[in-house]
Amino acid sequence: MSAPPSPSPRPLPMTVVGGFLGSGKTTLVSHWLREAGGQRIAVLVNDFGDLDIDAGLIAAVGSDVITLSNGCVCCQIGDDLAAALIAVLSAPAPFDAVVVEASGVSDPGRIAQYARADPALTPDGVIVLLDAATARRDAADPLLADTMLRQLGSADLLVVNKTDEVDAAEDARLDAWIAEAAPGVPTLRTTQARVPLAIISRLAPWDGGSVPHDAAPGPHRHDHAPAGDPRHGDVFESWSCRPARRFAVADLRDWFAGGLPGLLRLKGWVQAPDDGWIEVQFMGRRGTARPSSPPPGGEPAIVAIGIGGRLPRESLERAFEHS
Amino acid sequence: MAPPASRTTVFAARRIVTMNPRQPFATHVAVRDGRILGVGDLGSLAAYGPHDLDDRFADQVLMPGLVEGHCHLKEGGMWDMPYLGWFDRRDPDGTVWPGLRTMEAVVARVAEAAADLADADAPLICWGFDPIYFGGQRMTVEHLDRAGEARAVVIGHANGHLMNVNSAALRMAGITRDTDVEGVVKFPDGPKAGEPTGELQEPAAMFLIVRHVGDTGVLAPVTVAGVRSFARLACREGVTTATDLVNKLTDRDLAVLGEALADEGCAVRIAPAFQAFHGTHGAAAGAERVATLRGRSTDKLRLGLVKMMLDGSIQGFSARLRWPGYHNGAPNGIWVTAPAQYEADFETYHRAGLTIHTHTNGDEASVVAIDAIERVLARAPRPGHRHTLQHGQMIDAPLFRRMASLGLSANLFANHIWHWGDQHAEVTMGPDRAARLNACASALAHGVPLAIHSDAPVTPLSPLHVAWCAVNRVTPKGRVLGETERLTVEQALHAVTLGAAWTLGLDGEVGSIEPGKRADFCVLEEDPLAVDPMALKDVRVWGTVFGGAVHRASAA
Repeated sequence: MSAPPSPSPRPLPMTVVGGFLGSGKTTLVSHWLREAGGQRIAVLVNDFGDLDIDAGLIAAVGSDVITLSNGCVCCQIGDDLAAALIAVLSAPAPFDAVVVEASGVSDPGRIAQYARADPALTPDGVIVLLDAATARRDAADPLLADTMLRQLGSADLLVVNKTDEVDAAEDARLDAWIAEAAPGVPTLRTTQARVPLAIISRLAPWDGGSVPHDAAPGPHRHDHAPAGDPRHGDVFESWSCRPARRFAVADLRDWFAGGLPGLLRLKGWVQAPDDGWIEVQFMGRRGTARPSSPPPGGEPAIVAIGIGGRLPRESLERAFEHS
Repeated sequence: MAPPASRTTVFAARRIVTMNPRQPFATHVAVRDGRILGVGDLGSLAAYGPHDLDDRFADQVLMPGLVEGHCHLKEGGMWDMPYLGWFDRRDPDGTVWPGLRTMEAVVARVAEAAADLADADAPLICWGFDPIYFGGQRMTVEHLDRAGEARAVVIGHANGHLMNVNSAALRMAGITRDTDVEGVVKFPDGPKAGEPTGELQEPAAMFLIVRHVGDTGVLAPVTVAGVRSFARLACREGVTTATDLVNKLTDRDLAVLGEALADEGCAVRIAPAFQAFHGTHGAAAGAERVATLRGRSTDKLRLGLVKMMLDGSIQGFSARLRWPGYHNGAPNGIWVTAPAQYEADFETYHRAGLTIHTHTNGDEASVVAIDAIERVLARAPRPGHRHTLQHGQMIDAPLFRRMASLGLSANLFANHIWHWGDQHAEVTMGPDRAARLNACASALAHGVPLAIHSDAPVTPLSPLHVAWCAVNRVTPKGRVLGETERLTVEQALHAVTLGAAWTLGLDGEVGSIEPGKRADFCVLEEDPLAVDPMALKDVRVWGTVFGGAVHRASAA
């Protein structure tokens, strides 16, 4: 019998990026690869064709793997996602995260199941992109409608892309259609598949303001001016604090389960009653709280990001600032 | 003039069924340099001068070597693992593995195989498990732990979508009551309530096992030994030309095929089809690759086919169906390739002059293929393209008429009528639509060139069995699915010889016994045109003649 793979101390976060052909999946993962900020990301794509990486960033090109000088790799999945994931999980130098680009007709939720199944992986969200200019037309095509609805139903976060290509009237129709087709799915709007990495990755810091490491424990509110280009896409705001009190995993899970409209991403560490640590993660509409090793800075810290004006501040304050 | 060393051999047979309508029957065939020189009787063949008379087939019937237009070489490699199917199946050594009709019989065979395995720690992997006739009874760890508790046991289902494993395999993969994922089935009640039953559904759950034992599926690459096993099986089934209808055609794949086929004992011509369901940008390079490889074809390796894929399978509920969809209310299936992508890629391969075989199981997928091909042919007409729809299980008369007008061929999955016919009538299609499953007679009636196939290893490699299905259209429970769609024996034999050869562009070379063609024969103990049509599948195969060389099945 082959030896079981040694369980990695921290499971590899896996993000799945879905959406129809032309919705901007490869553009999104290209941004991610370029701006990984020191994280070693393995990106699994269907095809290198649309990949947009500066030649200067490419360290080596193989038939199915491109190695970047920033430590990231990009692999072609071919027809065998399982083999590609096994290669990532058994890489000699461990990765920090894996991002899977689903094919245009596949259900990204089914791919995310791999991360729920395997203890070496942990789900970090299903992002589904919609092309603002073509989404409603595709959804009206009887050959494609059910495929699109399955993708929307799997989304933790819906990214409406290419919003600069539609006028205000179409924009409104699109809004109404999304509200009906994907009720309750957090949605953000953008162009050129630009989404702050801090929202789609649990690892990426919020550069609009991370929690200062020299701050003493205790409530600290950091409000920031919304970031983003107001002409074409959503603007975002953040909220952060250093929770002084201790938390039970079950309470955090209950808090997530109650629903947090307006919250796109929450990440951080809090202390458990037994002096242990709990890693807290929320993306789109799913949150997890799990016992963890101590955080990098050794201090409790929570950062929450949402669309400008819609962050559920009261709920955040009640949960993390009140003793 | 032939070189002086060439000798002529005349084979005498009880009867020769030529599939050549000008001369349907004969008793003698003259062979020189691996090709057919003349067909007739001993007297008429005297015209070709001196010869050696070979009368070893005096009691046998010769047919053209059978052509399997949709199978996978993996059929050869599957037999490295124990077979657990409900249907009887012959392995490359000629041993018939009796179908397992009860859960107890399955457990007994698994236990036997576990005991036979020398390495005490090696996982035992079995294939072909098919519990659909077990009255809803599900296999669990309680069954498999009786077959073996120490080593991991992994059982692949015939439909490819499920597996069952024992407790040791669950431990190996770390699957526990806490594994919270769709597809890891748990006991609903009883003493083990909440514990995994060992049944794993769909890829994510099966991934936990595949990580430890590797992929053993149809798409796993073939090996030299696997190709040789396939060739031995082909000889036993009278097959002298076969496809490998999904092959990546990497340099390694070509080396494997080249090495295996260099062996004269490997008596089969292989036409692999390039796997053209790939990323969104693969078509241009793929078309260039296949067009280049076409020039490297040999007598035994025929390159130039392309395989595309639109949907999934009917029994897996992943085929794309038109209204009213699945009889049991299951949601419509999936696109493996987006319709627009299919059309774009099809056009690229078509413009490169290649012949494209498209997997379409459900009728909505068939419509999408026909619509796309109609537009491509309007933009880029090309005589003699021979594009073929593969499976095409739910194609009806109007679609066959459109196919005929576009010059499309159909290679229908006639073996499904027997292997899943009762499920189609009861669960997937309902009684009405099940009657037009693989509507072979309609295809011919509307002028569509017809082949029929096994898709081995999905069902066993045996063109005579496929022909039997198309002729009788019976199911294990005794249904007849669509009596009016039955083929005559002559039509069915045509479909597994010249019909299949046409779809591969090889009908000028194989598929009938007539002068100039390759001396590829199927040697039968009984006359398929004389036996009761219900006994067609039981006609015994003595072996083959391949390029004039005799290959006896029992020696293969």
